[in-house]
Amino acid sequence: MIKLIIFFLIIIVNSKYALSRNIGETEITTDDGIEVFQEEKYYLLKKNVEIVSDEFELNGDLVKIYFEKDLYDIKELFASTDVNFVSSTYNIKGKGETLTFNIKNEQINVTGIESELFFETTEMFSDGSITVNNIIGSFFIKGPNSKLITDEILITGYEINGIVVNKNGTRTISKLEVQDEDILNIVTEDTKMFSQKAFYDEEKSIIELFDNVKIIRGSEIITGDYGVLDTNKNAYKVSSKNSNKVKAIISNTK
Amino acid sequence: MNSLLLLNKKIYLIFSFLFIILILFIFSLNFFKKDDNSQNQITINKKTSDISEPKFSINSEEKQIFVTANEGNFLTEDEITLEKNVIFKSNKFKIYTDNVVFNKKTLVASSRDKSKFISNNTSIDSAGFDIIENGDIINFKGKTKLVLK
Repeated sequence: MIKLIIFFLIIIVNSKYALSRNIGETEITTDDGIEVFQEEKYYLLKKNVEIVSDEFELNGDLVKIYFEKDLYDIKELFASTDVNFVSSTYNIKGKGETLTFNIKNEQINVTGIESELFFETTEMFSDGSITVNNIIGSFFIKGPNSKLITDEILITGYEINGIVVNKNGTRTISKLEVQDEDILNIVTEDTKMFSQKAFYDEEKSIIELFDNVKIIRGSEIITGDYGVLDTNKNAYKVSSKNSNKVKAIISNTK
Repeated sequence: MNSLLLLNKKIYLIFSFLFIILILFIFSLNFFKKDDNSQNQITINKKTSDISEPKFSINSEEKQIFVTANEGNFLTEDEITLEKNVIFKSNKFKIYTDNVVFNKKTLVASSRDKSKFISNNTSIDSAGFDIIENGDIINFKGKTKLVLK
């Protein structure tokens, strides 16, 4: 008898999966219907929308999907209100108030307070917007509390733009541009850098800092107008338009 | 010893026979019930259906939607209810349902019944729909499932 009950329980539990979508299909469920606009070539999915496909899963409360010719021929997707997105194929996951996904350009944009986009080992956060283009390998983070975290570096600033390249199967940041009218912050393993503008070039192995520069390493604090850090040699130099302005504080903390 | 062997054979046979009779009785009851229903439906249809197998089309500048059903009844001067096996067919899609209210004046078709939309590599199951603006806008209502292939 117990075996029989277990058998029926297995059947009931698995029936959900047996009735679910087939490989290659995209299944979209909504609680409040779909409006199809044939002339404008888009459809609106309303309330508690769930999209499941081989490439990605998305949840949101209102989703607008633009199509080329037919409904299946999806061009762009726009989701709003508590959007969650996961793509194991592209190794991306994100959440935000709104999400725009351009299928052809493989570009994702997340906006809103506490937006997040995790792109392989790179984590991006912002209260404004985060955009990642998978084809070009570019990313743009803009807004208050914008932050980029990788295994090697932590960057905070109002605007963080960069290019990611694929090297031996792993993506690394090759170029970076950070700006903040107040002050930006770059933290590596042993150095903290502050300025209003910063550039990173992986080829040249340098981080350049502009305006209100401050570099802290251990007990050293150097301030000036311009700073450059050689990431290979792990050495830095700070200069100033006014030669008297560079200030170094070396304190013995031992 | 097997407990089944302890039973009196005669009693066992009588119970088996009665059980079979009972099952046959239930089945025959269901059969006659269904038969009665279909007879009732036929008589009602004969009495209430205003149009038998209505066929018409909703035209826009670029496309046409052909509408067919088994029955049609006038609700008002402008409104018709289409019943049973209602099909909306255009060169791009088909919609199947069992009950639609169609307004001749506004060309709006509305259903609150389970509906199935089928198009190229696409299917939509919904709890009803509205077709407005000559079929340019289709609003699928309630819990809806869209499958893209």
